[in-house]
Amino acid sequence: MNLTTYSTDPAGLQSFYEAIISAHDTYAPVEKFGKYDFIKVDALSSCNPDSPIPKTMSVKPLFFPKSARVMKYKATSEGTELSDTEGDPLAGKRVVLGVKHCDARGLQVLDAVYKWDYVDTDYEKRRENTILISTRCNEASTHCFCTSLDYDVEKLDAFDVAVINGLDGKIYLQARTEKGEFFLKENANGLTVANGSAQEEMKQQFEKFAGSFRLKMDYSEINEKMKGRFDSAVFEDIPANCVSCNTCAFVCPTCHCFKISDEKLKDEGVRYKSYDSCNNVYFTLMAGGHNPRPVKYRRWRQRAMHKFVYYKERFDMNLCVGCGKCTISCPVNISIFEVVNRVASSMQE
Amino acid sequence: METEVKEKIVSIEKPHLEAPADWQPVIMGILCNWCSYAGSDLTGTSRLQYPPNIRIIRVPCSSRVDPWFIIKSLQASADGVLISGCHPGDCHYISGNYYARRRFLVTKKLLNFVGFHENRVQFSWVSAAEGPKFAKVVSKVTEDIKKLGPLHLYKKENI
Amino acid sequence: MDYTKQIQDIAGRLFSENKIDVFIGYRNTGFDENQVPVLINQYKDVDQLLFTDKSVFNLANYLKYEHTRNKRVGLVVKGCDSRALNLMLTEKQVKRENLYVVGIACKGVVDETGEMAQNCIECVMPDAVIFDEMLGTPSGRREYQENADVRELDGKTLTERQEYFEEVFESCIRCNACRHSCPLCYCAKCCIDQETATLFQGANTTSSAFHALMTWSLHLAGRCVDCRNCEKACPSHLPLHLLHKQNEKVIYGNFQEHLAGMIEEDRGAFYKYSLSDPDDFIM
Repeated sequence: MNLTTYSTDPAGLQSFYEAIISAHDTYAPVEKFGKYDFIKVDALSSCNPDSPIPKTMSVKPLFFPKSARVMKYKATSEGTELSDTEGDPLAGKRVVLGVKHCDARGLQVLDAVYKWDYVDTDYEKRRENTILISTRCNEASTHCFCTSLDYDVEKLDAFDVAVINGLDGKIYLQARTEKGEFFLKENANGLTVANGSAQEEMKQQFEKFAGSFRLKMDYSEINEKMKGRFDSAVFEDIPANCVSCNTCAFVCPTCHCFKISDEKLKDEGVRYKSYDSCNNVYFTLMAGGHNPRPVKYRRWRQRAMHKFVYYKERFDMNLCVGCGKCTISCPVNISIFEVVNRVASSMQE
Repeated sequence: METEVKEKIVSIEKPHLEAPADWQPVIMGILCNWCSYAGSDLTGTSRLQYPPNIRIIRVPCSSRVDPWFIIKSLQASADGVLISGCHPGDCHYISGNYYARRRFLVTKKLLNFVGFHENRVQFSWVSAAEGPKFAKVVSKVTEDIKKLGPLHLYKKENI
Repeated sequence: MDYTKQIQDIAGRLFSENKIDVFIGYRNTGFDENQVPVLINQYKDVDQLLFTDKSVFNLANYLKYEHTRNKRVGLVVKGCDSRALNLMLTEKQVKRENLYVVGIACKGVVDETGEMAQNCIECVMPDAVIFDEMLGTPSGRREYQENADVRELDGKTLTERQEYFEEVFESCIRCNACRHSCPLCYCAKCCIDQETATLFQGANTTSSAFHALMTWSLHLAGRCVDCRNCEKACPSHLPLHLLHKQNEKVIYGNFQEHLAGMIEEDRGAFYKYSLSDPDDFIM
């Protein structure tokens, strides 16, 4: 299928956004307490699709919310009745504006695990009904390292419509998936089909963007090196100043661990699925009291190894998209980039 | 006039869904074993009437009440909370209610700060001999909560 | 305010005299102006240490982890940190003989925007109240002032406050970073984690966030020293200080001007009482 590129200018983009917001259920970054959350918006004035990267929370909660109902149960004299929960607020058709590139790739990573041996139907439905429209990433922030992790903005099909800056104030809207192509065709009022130089301009823009990264490394090598570092002493050393809060996992666009809890009243109840984190002491606590990961460095080792070794072996991708959100949110700024780099470059004992 | 209006606004919680006509408030009563619980017993044995909206929990002392008992009651199904203990100086454990008094003040103020009407959580000292006082206190609290209507703030989702 | 040289000297001296096993201080992140806490185990690392007005994190927090347990620890404390340390000592969480405390006569630290942080402007005790060695000239205790944000919210109507806090609790993701970064939240198992006993909800709903945050702030009432570690740790940037400062205001106003951790052997406001405490709110 041929994917079309449209061109417009900043004013055109604004009216494109406005048209989308008035026609569809739209989610966009809205400023709340000094950071941007993806929430439902009614007007373009209340949100900012080009929100700054370090202050924007990930788009993960729209697909894997902090707490979601899984099922209902009721004990009767005949036995236990199970039923589906209704009214998932995130299941409807919707459009998300201003999705960061790293966030969108995070969703692809989540797809791998949520559509694996057991398909999470709630998640699948939310994904299917959503059109993702990207933000314009122009410059890397301090903690960004997405280009180090098999990232290619030109081939990126993680979102449906890419919004990319061209030269001379031009803006290109490019369909990246079939869903995006249809969507753009329906909403293309005021947009013109781009001419031949568009590809070239976008490429230039990307090169400029890729050149602005402070953090760079070659991860194909890192994956190999990390495999043999399970017993590395560096793991014991690095997270000494970690305070074992769970922030890194909660804000991570790829972390997908959850806990199950029941809310019950007499004989009936609802089962919830909520975020959990491998940095939590109770994460591996078993009935009977044994805890295989009672100390901080073991939990940190699990986190780093899962992200760059185990997940890679199983799904052929890293469980990290290089967004740097964990480092920004961390109270003591522990950088996963730094940790992995140091572990990988440590000497084999 | 103006101050009167402002006072009125200040003390009104956000309007909620219309209460059903037959709505009755649920009040969580946390009573100390030695005074208030015995006091409520006396109310019963004296055949004094008081509203049946209160659900009583017995605790060893009013200082057993951790602030989260109150918060959890409000979050679960109660529309109001009444906590009652021995009069100052009468505590079975000598000074428990003095400690409790400090906690209650801070809890009450904090709940008011985050948006609960101050009548949602009330406290009283009721001794074992004060049956009529207990009936009066429960009537007053029920009356107050009825005026405020059902509590919808931060309720657990309906199951 | 730059005590980098002195702190490096002190840490070096302590290591060479074999008086400590760990030194807790600050180091540069390496890529920007901000500083992160660092735990130093040997003499050769002391030149990483520094202290400027960007040394924000409360280091007393690290005394509750396995890295420092039963070890001889040297650490740097500002005014607020030393009050937290004072409470930890009073509550028997650390042994005084295991500690070598470098007190700072603090001139205030900066927040993200580069201006003096709000808690430093309103600080009552900038100088360390407990120390083995003091750096800088103490400026003494200051007048208590009510928090500006609390005052502003207090002036609003109940409905407005209600709406404001609904948004706060809704934005909480219950990661518990506030609790983990608080030096005074050292319980081996926090009541908020007792989900299996259904004391607290396991689900991360607005309702459970309300329950957890309110309980947390009330358990810290009369003990909170306003270091704002919780607020710095919060990934949702919630104004958690509002809850603490509101409690502090009530406690200061009603309970003999009590402020947490100011003097040794002084436990929180809820561990003592006075016969003349206010009683008029009780029927």
